[in-house]
Amino acid sequence: MQLRNTADTYGALAKFLHWTIVILIIAQYVIIEAAEELPDGLEKLTMITRHKSIGILVLGLALIRIAWKLVNKGRPAPVPMPRPQRIAAAAGHGLLYLLILAQPISGWMMSSAANYPVTFFGWFQFPALVGANEGMHEFYEEVHEFLFTALLVVTVVHVLAALYHHFIQKDDTLRRMLPFGRRRAA
Amino acid sequence: MSLRSLPRAGAFAALLLAATATHAAAAWTTDPAQSRLGFTATLAGGDFDGAFQRFQTDIDFDPADLEGSRFRVEIALASADTGDADRDLALKGADFFAVERWPSARFSADRFVVLGNGRFEALGRLTIRDTSREIRLPFRFEPVGDGKRAVLAGGTTIRRLDYGVGQGEWQDTQWLGDEVRIRFTLQLQRQETTSP
Repeated sequence: MQLRNTADTYGALAKFLHWTIVILIIAQYVIIEAAEELPDGLEKLTMITRHKSIGILVLGLALIRIAWKLVNKGRPAPVPMPRPQRIAAAAGHGLLYLLILAQPISGWMMSSAANYPVTFFGWFQFPALVGANEGMHEFYEEVHEFLFTALLVVTVVHVLAALYHHFIQKDDTLRRMLPFGRRRAA
Repeated sequence: MSLRSLPRAGAFAALLLAATATHAAAAWTTDPAQSRLGFTATLAGGDFDGAFQRFQTDIDFDPADLEGSRFRVEIALASADTGDADRDLALKGADFFAVERWPSARFSADRFVVLGNGRFEALGRLTIRDTSREIRLPFRFEPVGDGKRAVLAGGTTIRRLDYGVGQGEWQDTQWLGDEVRIRFTLQLQRQETTSP
């Protein structure tokens, strides 16, 4: 498998970034739901701190993913499909990228508003995005939760679309992003 | 106190009186609205800061009369404000300041050392919860205008665990660092001497 995308399949790096982000976002949900169950204390603090570091990691990986997509301009070539469907796919993907970027940023703002530091696993401290303000903290928390719901909804549509391509259209749309996917025999 | 130590106590009281009598350094009041007593702690490798909203000072200070100078500061620990209600509540709790048992921290200093360039060091005693420790507190003293006002600013780094701030699981310093930086800027106003 080669690193770069080719005309008919995603390369190793694009696949790695796509699936790593998927796994990390699922882990993020599991971690924060578990943390919410805990009483205030060191364990809760530890889990929330990890959630924040992983969020920063997702933000970084998403930025690399977008940069890599731009570098591999036009590759792989779009699967032939009617124009409205192509526009819907492009809009859906654009929205996914937007939400994957907005989600960690809103969490970062939420931390900054509550005057909590955001670090990358304690190695590097990121500056506060907004000033400390308890009222705004509540607001960013709402935004963070709303963005998660939006991300979930768009992801469900994304998965259904991939399955539609694979099982109904019987094309290579899903296969070319699968970790060890091979092209359908001609 | 045993009867035998009474004369000693008497001598000590006399000394105290003498000290008060020779007390000559200028007395200052702190303008709370213009002053700040802040701290910075580390959480998971990142800094966050806070400040005490209520504290009282009793400051006699004159660079020309360090012998007669003294600091007395009392800090209302329940007034710790870190910008997050949950964290502020935790700080008031039994594991940290335990404000119900020990509502205030105190700093008192009677010895001062000249560091030069308007800088000094107070050698005093800091008490938090039920623990007192000798600390050195470097600061600068800058008279402003006609000498009726001055800025007193400085800070030091203490270890919270030296004072038992962080009990139980919070003795772990991996997530909540031991070192806490203290920074203060006090706007002082010369106390008008009341006529004898």
